[in-house]
Amino acid sequence: MKNKSLLSGRNIALFVIVLIAGVVPVFLKDQYMMGLLTSILIYAALASAWNIIGGMAGQLDLAVAAYVGLGAYTMGTLLIRWNITPWIGMIIGGLVAMGFAVLIGFPLFGFKITGLWYTLTSSALVMVLQKVFLMWDSVGGATERYLPVDPKYPFYSMKYVQNPYLLLYYIILAILVIVIFVNYRIRASKLGYSLLALGEDEDAVQVLGVNSQFAKIKALMIYAFIAGVIGTIYAMNFGYVHPSYFNPDMSTEVAILGIVGGMGITFGPVVAAIFLVSLKEFLRAYLGGNLPGLYMVAYAVILILVVLFQPRGITVMFQTYYQKIISKFGVKKDG
Amino acid sequence: MDNQPMLQVSNVTVQFGSLLAVNDVSLEIHRGEILGLIGPNGAGKTTTFNALTGLVMPSSGKVLFKNVDITNMLPYKRCQLGMSRTFQVIRAFNNMVVEDAVRVGAYNRHGESTVKNKVNEVVEFCELGPLRHRLCGDLGLAALRRVELARALATEPELLLLDETGAGLNPAELTAFMNLLKKINLDGNITLCVVEHVMQMVMGVCSRIVVLDSGEVIAKGSPAEISIDPKVIEAYLGKRVPKCY
Repeated sequence: MKNKSLLSGRNIALFVIVLIAGVVPVFLKDQYMMGLLTSILIYAALASAWNIIGGMAGQLDLAVAAYVGLGAYTMGTLLIRWNITPWIGMIIGGLVAMGFAVLIGFPLFGFKITGLWYTLTSSALVMVLQKVFLMWDSVGGATERYLPVDPKYPFYSMKYVQNPYLLLYYIILAILVIVIFVNYRIRASKLGYSLLALGEDEDAVQVLGVNSQFAKIKALMIYAFIAGVIGTIYAMNFGYVHPSYFNPDMSTEVAILGIVGGMGITFGPVVAAIFLVSLKEFLRAYLGGNLPGLYMVAYAVILILVVLFQPRGITVMFQTYYQKIISKFGVKKDG
Repeated sequence: MDNQPMLQVSNVTVQFGSLLAVNDVSLEIHRGEILGLIGPNGAGKTTTFNALTGLVMPSSGKVLFKNVDITNMLPYKRCQLGMSRTFQVIRAFNNMVVEDAVRVGAYNRHGESTVKNKVNEVVEFCELGPLRHRLCGDLGLAALRRVELARALATEPELLLLDETGAGLNPAELTAFMNLLKKINLDGNITLCVVEHVMQMVMGVCSRIVVLDSGEVIAKGSPAEISIDPKVIEAYLGKRVPKCY
């Protein structure tokens, strides 16, 4: 392979980053910072999952909050009603989100709804589900439903009262690593190549023997499953489930992370999430009292700047610098 | 050449609303030949082409490929059967590098273990070696035509349909492209059907020609026969009128 050395270099970098991320909580006792880090990882993982449908397949999907909410409510209902552990609820939540994605995906892609229409449909999906869960009293309803914690078995209810973020932090870190790995694998497989190509021209891909409809549904299913699983962590993080989880703003944020990071680039969304989510929390903490929602303005400005000056994403910018530094040190660059 | 044609088109009609784009067209493509499909602007060449490759469904008529009825088959299934095409307007994967674009096609008949060899083989064959790591979006027209051809070849078709591949090429590029087509036909043992405007190319490579005008077949035959057929001359240049001064 052309860039095997680069690949292993990247793997080492990934390993080091994960190691650092794994050790950080040992030294970090500040609960606020732990909450922030967990939040960054949640968004990074969501944006990485979005990368499959948004970055590779080129469908500007705004439905991530729908799958997050479905995952959260599935896990929450199982836990509240039948006291089923979130560890199982997590998987079932993902499966429910995936099943819903199949239900949506077949008519959507069957009728060849792409581009702007796909974006609008996916966005509407979030709002529809929000209203459904607002009115569905036996599962949702307008008040928060708190997730019970059994103090005797904190591991079973996935929450340690003294240090609520620690376990969630490690779970979401593991999920993020898995998502990146999945991204990698898809990118290097037939599905990845098909998705990248069909994102550019669907007719042209079909005459090359690719069942584009099936490829898109596969991508949607993988993405929805991951988003559903992350949704359960998102709910555990807050400690309750509420219809506000079906939040169109969240969908937009995740899509922005994906675009700013670089469409179709595996590490792009992670890099973008580290920058933008920290920025968001910073703006919220220091200016939130006076100017709530300012972070969306900042996001918008950054998005415009990126689209204008670095349309392939900020990660490409870093890669270019990286290449320059490498070539300066006289390491032979291939390709 | 066996007696059974590779592609048998019988009485295909394509109608868009009240417009009869293709009217009762019948033609056949035999194994091993290079068939040229020509005609003046608006004659229905591209629509016929789209009907053969599944991007447009015929209103009536039948298309048989290797004795399989493919009239209403989706394009990707036709490709799996052994038929691929290129487009008149370049449909490049602008953000993919050349070898990745070829790889999309190569997956049609190859798994992960052999797909790389196939890509290398096709890239060599189409003389795209120096360009293989370039982004398709950065390439010029002549190179993109080659990439599109390579992409289609990577699917290992038995029948390859090329839509106006000569358009916009300069004479040197055209000659190189014609040689490539002949190489594909002879060395690759692939049957070709070319829709073409550029007469130099049609006369240079085709072994048989079908002429369309106003959605109908007006003549069939060898290049030499076609070039003196009065109906064809009329379709291209108009009727000879008596001098009226």
